[in-house]
Amino acid sequence: MFNTLLRKIIRTGVGRGRFIMAGVGLTVALLLIFSAVQVQVNYSELLYGKSNQDSIANFLVINKEINGNDPENTLSQQEVEKLKQQPFVVTIGQLSASRFKVSAQSPSDNFPFYTDLFFESVPNEFIDVTSKDWTWSPGSRTIPLVIPNQFLDIYNFGFAPSQNLFQLTQEMVMALPIVINIHTNGTTVPFTGRVVGFSDRISSVLVPQNFLDWANKTYGTQSAGKTSRVVIKTNDPGDPKLASYLKKNGLVTNADKTRFSKYRSIVNTVVGASWVTGVVMLLFALLVFSLFIQLTIASTKHEIQLLITLGASPRQLQKFLLKQFLPTNIVIAFLCLLAVAVLQFFIHRFLQNQNMEVSQLISPFTILAAVLIVLVLWIVNVSTIRKYIKQTGE
Amino acid sequence: MNIQLQKVIPVPLKDKFSSRSSHIWNQQVLFTDGEWIKIKAPSGTGKTTLINIMYKVRYDYEGTVQWNSKDLREIKGDELAMLRQQKVSVIFQDLRLFANLTARENIELKRVMQQPFYEKDAIESMAATLGVTHVLDQRAGTCSYGEQQRIAIIRSLMQPFKWLIMDEPFSHLDKENIKRAATLIAAECKQRNAGFVLTDLDEDDHFEYSNFYNL
Repeated sequence: MFNTLLRKIIRTGVGRGRFIMAGVGLTVALLLIFSAVQVQVNYSELLYGKSNQDSIANFLVINKEINGNDPENTLSQQEVEKLKQQPFVVTIGQLSASRFKVSAQSPSDNFPFYTDLFFESVPNEFIDVTSKDWTWSPGSRTIPLVIPNQFLDIYNFGFAPSQNLFQLTQEMVMALPIVINIHTNGTTVPFTGRVVGFSDRISSVLVPQNFLDWANKTYGTQSAGKTSRVVIKTNDPGDPKLASYLKKNGLVTNADKTRFSKYRSIVNTVVGASWVTGVVMLLFALLVFSLFIQLTIASTKHEIQLLITLGASPRQLQKFLLKQFLPTNIVIAFLCLLAVAVLQFFIHRFLQNQNMEVSQLISPFTILAAVLIVLVLWIVNVSTIRKYIKQTGE
Repeated sequence: MNIQLQKVIPVPLKDKFSSRSSHIWNQQVLFTDGEWIKIKAPSGTGKTTLINIMYKVRYDYEGTVQWNSKDLREIKGDELAMLRQQKVSVIFQDLRLFANLTARENIELKRVMQQPFYEKDAIESMAATLGVTHVLDQRAGTCSYGEQQRIAIIRSLMQPFKWLIMDEPFSHLDKENIKRAATLIAAECKQRNAGFVLTDLDEDDHFEYSNFYNL
């Protein structure tokens, strides 16, 4: 009842336009801030979420950029060490190359081929092929091989049609024994090669590390080779720090896998911009709100003074004024949160169609942000009202 | 609750009053709980100033005013409001109604500002006693001074109090209405065991005063 009378005495209708403007400003500000938080959460969920882990994308083969000036583009031991220190590198594996001449040919005349070849090896943990045949024991004349998937693609879709040859399935290739000849000091040592898997990760002809070590020692003709390529395992191939480190140090990798870093930089920029804009707008909205409160109190100064003279307590007036202003703020914050929640639900549905998994619910961080902002609004409202009521009462 | 004035003298009127003898200005005065006090004051002797100092709407004075042995200067904010809601009521000479509210709303405001002392129908019955029932739903600003004064009187009686401070409360009323208003005020004060301070230009016998002062 008292408040009904106060509402008639303290007209809050003054400057209604300004109040609406401040409300709109606050709405935009909160939408920006909440979506910035939500996008950030979604993005890290996409990057680090279990269901989104793409094992291939997490391994990168890195080599020096070939610019045509240097005769050999190898990584020094220091460069490898430095790379190892980088925060985005989990583990690092060096590719070692064969230091002898080797060739491969078909055992059958029905299906003739001959090629000079090379081998490389890398620690097993970096290979995306798990096969029980992927072992070599000393003395064995059979060498398991892992070849790039692209080889088979090139053969099947480029070479075979042009030469009027059979197209081969992976199983057919794996069933086919290959004659491997290692050439050393004018003699030829025959082995049998067997393809045990196809790699999407490393585009090279891989053999087990212990075989290569043995073969290099036994047949090696050239001096110990330098590292020309390394494989790194990283948690986030889209990390812009990774891309910029590679660029700065003249290194390159399968560009395809770091393409994410470009999107990532864009998302970071957009999120950052929306943060800054949101916070600046929030500050302005707070300013306009407190000016509006000040204006309301100033324009009803005489009424407030008379109320205080008649015995209305500052606390009663503060409570009344807070009731006039704060609910709008809270409603705006709630509606913005709701809008972001609805948006999140649709983003979830949309991304699900793209095989990307983000939560369909709004993140607790966004809710926390809303709670914090409401707290800030409350503090600004209360302190402004208290200050100007006190000023008016004196 | 006692009201005590110790060597109170308003700063702007200091020179003018220090040469004049007065029962109040620059004296030690004690208004004891329940006393009915008449202060007679010719024009220009600071009647309204005194009321304003005693009710703490003016601060430009020397000396101290005490409510219940506490310096009025030290009573502020919510504490002051609590005393004005529970202990000290006032009728200003200039009435101070909210012109945009109806007469009833003006009275109601003071009724519900604190835990109500009277039920709502007390407004009707007091308005009937003072003959202002017909203006209750009229905007206070459009009422005559006589009506406004009666509204202000009723407003001051809506709350609990130990002291009623009145500044020429009957200045706009005729004899008949003064009699009715004084009877009502006397009854209300008796009911609360409350004292009052009334200032006026002339002597009168509206109440059974327990103490007279000349300003």
